[in-house]
Amino acid sequence: MARIGSLPAATLLIRAQRSPQIIGEPPGRIPPLDELVNSLEFEPVAQRKLDDAAFNAISGGNRSGFDHIVFRPRLMVNTQNLDLTTELFGDAMFTPILIGPASHQNRFHPEGELAMARGASAAQAAMVVADRSDHPVERIAAEAGGPLWYQAYPESDGHSLLSRIHKAVEAGCKAVCITVGTPYGQIGSNGYPRLSTLPPMGNPAFDWNYIDRIRRSVTAPLLLKGVMSAEEAKTAVKNGIQGIVVSNHGGGFVHGLAEPITVLPEIVDAVGGRAPVLVDGGFRRGSDVLKALIFGAKAVLISRPALWGLAAYGAEGVRTVVELLQTELARDLAMVGAANPQDLSRDFVKISRR
Amino acid sequence: MKQPERHRHGYVDRRESIRLLTGFLAGSPLLLAQQDPFRDHSRIPSIDELIDVFDFEALAYEKLPRSAYNYTAYGAAGEFTLRRNREVFKWIELIPKGVVNVSSIDTTTEILGTRMNFPIMVAPTAGHTALHPSGEAGTHEGCTAAAETPMIVSHAASMPIEEIAASASGPIWVQLYPSPDIETNRKPLEKAQAAGARAVVVTVDQEAAFYERALHDRNLAGRRSRRIRRPRRDLNRYRIPVKRLWYEWKLFDQLRSFINMPMLAKGVLIAEDAKRCIEHGLDGIVVSNHGGRALDYSPSSLEVLPEIVDVVAGRVPVLIDSGFRRGSDILKALAFGASAVCLGRVPRWGLGAFGPPGAQRILEIVQAELVMAMAHSGRPTLASIDRSLVRADLP
Ligand SMILES: Cc1cc2nc3c(=O)[nH]c(=O)nc-3n(C[C@H](O)[C@H](O)[C@H](O)COP(=O)(O)O)c2cc1C
Repeated sequence: MARIGSLPAATLLIRAQRSPQIIGEPPGRIPPLDELVNSLEFEPVAQRKLDDAAFNAISGGNRSGFDHIVFRPRLMVNTQNLDLTTELFGDAMFTPILIGPASHQNRFHPEGELAMARGASAAQAAMVVADRSDHPVERIAAEAGGPLWYQAYPESDGHSLLSRIHKAVEAGCKAVCITVGTPYGQIGSNGYPRLSTLPPMGNPAFDWNYIDRIRRSVTAPLLLKGVMSAEEAKTAVKNGIQGIVVSNHGGGFVHGLAEPITVLPEIVDAVGGRAPVLVDGGFRRGSDVLKALIFGAKAVLISRPALWGLAAYGAEGVRTVVELLQTELARDLAMVGAANPQDLSRDFVKISRR
Repeated sequence: MKQPERHRHGYVDRRESIRLLTGFLAGSPLLLAQQDPFRDHSRIPSIDELIDVFDFEALAYEKLPRSAYNYTAYGAAGEFTLRRNREVFKWIELIPKGVVNVSSIDTTTEILGTRMNFPIMVAPTAGHTALHPSGEAGTHEGCTAAAETPMIVSHAASMPIEEIAASASGPIWVQLYPSPDIETNRKPLEKAQAAGARAVVVTVDQEAAFYERALHDRNLAGRRSRRIRRPRRDLNRYRIPVKRLWYEWKLFDQLRSFINMPMLAKGVLIAEDAKRCIEHGLDGIVVSNHGGRALDYSPSSLEVLPEIVDVVAGRVPVLIDSGFRRGSDILKALAFGASAVCLGRVPRWGLGAFGPPGAQRILEIVQAELVMAMAHSGRPTLASIDRSLVRADLP
């Protein structure tokens, strides 16, 4: 039988360990924004701003897969014309880094998605608006300078889903991601797991016919987000899906899901250039993004780092997180020896067992 | 051992609670504040008490301004490669021979016309006056006193190369960070040749490197004025400096015209580049990830050494640096076919801890360790060191 720890101090210690603090810094200090030097550093600041429930929803992320990929950098490659411009569905994006969808962003900042959109625009990054946003999509669109995409969960009531998608496309969303593989909520998001309170989040009758119905009634390109196998990616493309987002939804739904970066190569191979493959999950460094590009991903979505930026500093935080990642990516691209993503190939990495 | 599991089980037993509480108190800043703040400084050990290179690092940390220590320590970005540079030595084991006459050990060698008593050189590193007032001259003194260890003088040295060369009699090479205007490279190279430099090492990695931790130091020092995204002419639209993005292979052909000494390229990490170095007439290669200071998530230099040695196939000497600290580390590189190993941080710790005598001692320690490692593994000469000496489980 599990017992609750008897000493409060022990609990305190456990909590203290969860709250990383810079030595010598007063607890709860919110450093000036320009003190932060990489995306990871925004996480503890976000924690200081948020209550436990909100912070738990955006904490962590597994990026250990990246530690098993090392570069094979080439010297003497002129990269003065370094160019990260990425064409996706007719839009020329500043870099291949997009802000991924995340629901209910008012949990993290009073202005939620509006501030996120402002930050994204300031960093010239596209943003994927979540189906469950706290602000109407047209308000978000009014704040955004760059391209917007939309993300939707498949629901039993296809009608309301379709009308939301249509509204989003009308508001200017350039592409639509249907999230697959998340019938229930995040572990721990609704108290302890009990069968009596497992409301299906998605559509139990979800299948390729359903997707086909959406596809036929939506004019914008349709992507599937949450594809983790080559097999399913192939089927998706065969069914007319125009883009794949490799994702394990941040790893928060089932323990033990593969890391997206590790299944990406076989999915890219399976799709064989018939549709752009994007990826998300654990991207925290420019070098992480570069690895995905090297494996053939067209772009990368980052969600949690952007949310940390949002929670900690609002739109300016979002902008800074995204800009830091863009800058790291540019540095790493130059140092690996490629002037643009098209010049990359898998010769630029080595898989490392260590 | 149980610790990582603790939160999964959802309970903490009494014993564990007490252990945690003790740990909590031990780590408490309040307790720490009651201790003698000068405790750590109450006694500086003498040079003879330091046994290996790592002891010098600790002392350099104590003695140097934090900025000077940190500048030496930095790796690029998240410092994955910096850590891997040390981890790689665990993946390579030495397989000794015991029945060998090792009554005399011969470590002498000659590389590109420079005679050396050990296959060990000092790598080019910037700004030695930050470590000791004697600066590079002091390092050179220490090198010469330590069996005439050749020193590669950095392009970013804190004193003129004539002054460094004049301070001692040992051999020097010179390192160049090339300029895009080819003529601009002429003066430093001619000056170095006049000062007696016997080879030039052209560093071509670190095209857009960044020491992230330098920003922490800036912050801790309360200087936060330079905004990262302030538009600057030398930054491109991704806010990275363009200064070194122009490198191309033809650079080596162009430099050749004003150099009468052997030329090496530093920063090679793949076999294809080693091949191209030879095609472009380079006389030697330095396998290096700049001590973990160039592209983070580069491999350790030692793990790629075998493929580079294989493709070079003896046509030019292959030198290596990044992460070497012990005699046995050096032995492993020699076993894979390196001609010599360069030490970057090691002499900096020596100089920072004790000035020129520290630079001398730290090199002597590594030299002695190499001799002992050769003797203990039954390889009395450099020629007897081959791949049969190592069992490698490289990733
Ligand atoms: C503090 C410091 C400064 C450096 N400055 C230079 C330099 O000016 N020119 C250069 O070619 N390499 C420079 N390097 C890289 C070294 O030449 C060498 O590649 C590296 O230090 C070897 O790794 P190690 O320090 O682990 O021995 C520097 C390295 C350090 C640690």
